[in-house]
Amino acid sequence: MIVCSNCQHDNLTGAMFCAECGASFAGVHSLIKQSLGPEKYQSVSKKSSDDPSQKFSGGETWGSLHLVDTGQIFPLSQRNEFTMGRISKGQSIRPDIDFSPYQGYDAGVSRMHAVIKRDGDRIILKDLGSSNGTYWNGARLSPNVEQIIHHRDMVALGKMKIQIMVKK
Amino acid sequence: MPSRKPDYYEILGVFRDASQEDIKRAYLDSAQRLHPDKNVAAGETELFLEIQLAYEVLSNPKRRNLYDATLPPEIEESSVIKHEVSFSRTNLVQLNEPQLVYALLEVGPRDQKEKLPSAPLNICLILDRSTSMQGDKLDFVKATAIHLLRNLRQEDVLSVVAFSDRAEVIVPAALNLEKKKHEGSIQMMQASGATEIYKGLQAGIKEIRRTLDPSRVNHIILLTDGQTYGDEKACLKLAEDAAAQHIGITAMGIGHEWNDIFLDALAGKTGGSSAYISKPSDIERLLTDKFKALAKSFADEVLLEYKQQKHIKINYGFRLQPEGGFIEVESPIHLGPILQDTALHILFEFLVSPQALDGDVLKLLDGSLKTSIMARPRPVPPIRLKLTLDIKQNPSEEEPPSRILNALSHLNLYRMQERAQAAAEADQFDVAARYLQNLATHLLSQGEHSLSKTALFEAKHLETKHTWSLAGHKDIKYSTRALLLSGDKEKAE
Repeated sequence: MIVCSNCQHDNLTGAMFCAECGASFAGVHSLIKQSLGPEKYQSVSKKSSDDPSQKFSGGETWGSLHLVDTGQIFPLSQRNEFTMGRISKGQSIRPDIDFSPYQGYDAGVSRMHAVIKRDGDRIILKDLGSSNGTYWNGARLSPNVEQIIHHRDMVALGKMKIQIMVKK
Repeated sequence: MPSRKPDYYEILGVFRDASQEDIKRAYLDSAQRLHPDKNVAAGETELFLEIQLAYEVLSNPKRRNLYDATLPPEIEESSVIKHEVSFSRTNLVQLNEPQLVYALLEVGPRDQKEKLPSAPLNICLILDRSTSMQGDKLDFVKATAIHLLRNLRQEDVLSVVAFSDRAEVIVPAALNLEKKKHEGSIQMMQASGATEIYKGLQAGIKEIRRTLDPSRVNHIILLTDGQTYGDEKACLKLAEDAAAQHIGITAMGIGHEWNDIFLDALAGKTGGSSAYISKPSDIERLLTDKFKALAKSFADEVLLEYKQQKHIKINYGFRLQPEGGFIEVESPIHLGPILQDTALHILFEFLVSPQALDGDVLKLLDGSLKTSIMARPRPVPPIRLKLTLDIKQNPSEEEPPSRILNALSHLNLYRMQERAQAAAEADQFDVAARYLQNLATHLLSQGEHSLSKTALFEAKHLETKHTWSLAGHKDIKYSTRALLLSGDKEKAE
């Protein structure tokens, strides 16, 4: 069985793309759960540790961020709150999700741009006073005001477009 | 080409373990084609005598045994056709749950440089002239038919049949036509009546049979803008009969009223494809392109015969090249044509049950590929196609070959669209919309902005109105299909 990291759909072993959401499984060995006989094991990944999908693998995934332009997927799991931003050299600010490898600077992502968190069934997005703003379905959010968002909403950090996927 | 004299089996185009029945059938096929009673080209009488001799020996079990003893070991390689298979995984894994594996089959000419003469065409245009064709559509169809007739080569045959709720022959199938007169009859076509595809198909097949010849590309092009009611099954039966005589069918739908699933199935029976003509002004371009492709045929069809393996199912088959198209996976499978410059690419999805994983090696498929090449008077020896994979304890860490990954990533988009359609058919509009939204995300990431917008628009439409927009579904289906082809070309360059 392969569990899709994007939508949690169970796919048959050997599938190359998720039958539900179409996400590619190429190179996602860490998410292939093989059941060998009675016991199950999770195969060890060979991926380097700076891969963002790696930091969060395992644990319950409650949602994911889908970078619209590059197709990159960031699963949200193990904790309820993630800060989003960009790491820049010589600065000690370290957001939980770093967009600097995905042209975060060019897209106008601030170092500490916004936060997404889960509160029970609600998903909340909050702009952290970013320079270029956080947009929710096209509307700019006021800084530091919480906004409830939903599955499939489009969010933009500056020009970085992200689709929010929430597991129900 | 090897200078070695071909053995009797090769002459008849059968395997060495062929049954007496196979040998007889192969002989009759060849004899029909090369019989001296027909007007045949120079040298073909000698070929006929060779075939006769081969049959005399092989049809007699005693003489066959004696002959077999003199033969060198069988050469598995075909001298004319080359085939290649790549898998999505290097091995299967010992698992107690079902698993999938993909195989990409490529079949092409062995020697790319060997230029066979372009085979003469025997084409029948079956044109819908029901009331709905009135206006632009029929005008463009007529103009294109006349254009094609004028540009016909001396050796080609083009017949034209028009149908509504009845059929009539506008241009009969014959060599050396009086073109001027028939241009007039095409011009006179008037739109009236309902759409009954069976009537048209029946008349078209009758026409094409008049000049049916294995050394020609025998092909029907059906153009329609509407749905046929009640005669679908009969049409599919006709298509099967046509396929058995190596008559291919291409089905072109104009506008948004026609039934794409039915036309896909109809063309699929013969290894042909359906095509979508979104606006009447595209009729000429698409039809002319189709003619050019037919004139470039290297083999008019590749047939895959196989025995079903226990606990293994072919889930899905799709032709990626030369024309994207749906494939029925029941044996024998009409895979489609090979063009002189484009090999045949087929992608299969196999579903392997745990019960099949007995031993170290699994036979996924055991069958043979039969190719018919119009320009070769002698039959092409069939190729054995055995697909096997090792069964191991652990999954392989190796990345799948990029050609199969590329093919699958494009097919992925097409299949998401198929799932959306299936969900919409089942009245699960929110599910269909979700598939389309996912599709839109992937299209966007591949830079297909306008198609992505169309998908999002349709998702909205399905959610709110519980139906597709007029052209919506066909736009998405045939555009994602076209992506399959463009993706493959990039790879080839």
